[in-house]
Amino acid sequence: MIDAAEHRIIDCDWHYQDSFEEIAEYMDDPWRTQYKRSNWGDSGVKQNLSSFFPTSTGDRQAYGKVVREHSNYPDEPETPDRIREGMEYLDIDASLQISHLALAMGGVQTDDERTQAFAKGHIRYMLEEVLDPDDGVYGLVPLPYSDVDSSLEILEMVEDEEAIRGGCFVTAGANPPLGNRKYDPIYERLEDMGLPIVYHTGGSGLDDYVRAGYEEMIETHTLGFLESNMSQLVSVTCRGVPEKFPDLDIVFMESGVTYVPGLISRLEEEYLKRPEEAPLLEKRPSEYITDYYFGTQPLEVSASPRLLELCFDMLGTDRLLYASDYPHWDFDSPSTITDLPFLSDDDRKRILSGNAAEVFGL
Amino acid sequence: MSIDNLVLVKAADEFDDGDHELVDVDGVEVGVVRADGEFYAFRNQCPHDGGPVCKGPVSQKLVGEFVEPGERVEKKFVDEMIISCPWHGWSFDLETGENVADDSIILPSYDVVVDDGVVYVDDGN
Repeated sequence: MIDAAEHRIIDCDWHYQDSFEEIAEYMDDPWRTQYKRSNWGDSGVKQNLSSFFPTSTGDRQAYGKVVREHSNYPDEPETPDRIREGMEYLDIDASLQISHLALAMGGVQTDDERTQAFAKGHIRYMLEEVLDPDDGVYGLVPLPYSDVDSSLEILEMVEDEEAIRGGCFVTAGANPPLGNRKYDPIYERLEDMGLPIVYHTGGSGLDDYVRAGYEEMIETHTLGFLESNMSQLVSVTCRGVPEKFPDLDIVFMESGVTYVPGLISRLEEEYLKRPEEAPLLEKRPSEYITDYYFGTQPLEVSASPRLLELCFDMLGTDRLLYASDYPHWDFDSPSTITDLPFLSDDDRKRILSGNAAEVFGL
Repeated sequence: MSIDNLVLVKAADEFDDGDHELVDVDGVEVGVVRADGEFYAFRNQCPHDGGPVCKGPVSQKLVGEFVEPGERVEKKFVDEMIISCPWHGWSFDLETGENVADDSIILPSYDVVVDDGVVYVDDGN
């Protein structure tokens, strides 16, 4: 036996807790400046290391472009009061809360019990501490669709809860896609309960869509939400979910509106050539899809007004729902709707509240 | 029926099921098709892209039925026959000419007359 203190010891694996702030000083520009602006500071390993070497491009705070509060995900947890502050700030009278953390559930590809445990805990917490119909604070229940039985248990938990106005699928990780018969019992239950299903993708996994190797968030944030919504929209429609569950309201969130007419047009061409492969459809796909509801955020306000007007006409102003996505970095305020030149005031009111009141029973 | 209205195709026994024969009817190319022993005639120009629809395969229509939630859609061939354009697959019901995907799209049809073992197309005049 030897005494370590009396012998030479070489440790072959030590981790120096370096910080972004210190290293940035030694980097070449533009990275030196970009990293110093990114607010990653001296927090070292507390930060998500993927923000340094971009295994994910999803860091909303990167390079310090958006500096308002909540432009990124705060270290401090949300409080119910913050909802009121946000609603006051945006002039919103009623809101549907969707779990921020649940958005990461979309990246789970395995039979992971944590998504179920989280979803149940989240909804108990929200019902107990946060949701308040008297104050216009409602919620959607996240459904861990990979486990149908758990999803049904969760719907059972919220059956008579006035504060819960729909179910939510975080669509990114859904394999097989959400038109598959596997999910039928969830749709059936929602239809029975008179609740809509809301498809809302999440940030997790955006880097892996279709192919790996994108370099910046501008690429993955543009494509990820679109790809996810488009894949589920096609699956849900072609597998006949609206034929199977005709009283189920279907809502797609957070990809703007301009992708839908293009997708419809593409799908129509395929359907005319291969209708027998979507055998439950009794009419063209467009006739189902224009019955779905679409959240407008992030609305393509810089697009040609002619294009936007065409999209609004094609989808129907009775099918569009204002959504802020607050407090996420690319939120839309109600002015995105009130400022649209081609809408009548009645259409604006429908999109800002009337359609939502109908579909969510508010 | 006047013989003046009829355009000769060919002898009925020269057709097998699925066969087609093209004839000129007042300057329009018309395809006569035999399916399950019956004769049908359509303009041989697909409303989609002008393809020779009558040269396409004739088959039974494939349909799906929703049995109950969670179960596979039950797919089966039914008695209705369809013809599919060989260019892009647009398909039409042989009895009605209606597009299988959208019944507002109609493939123009003609009456077929079989007289004394010979097949004719009625030109509609």
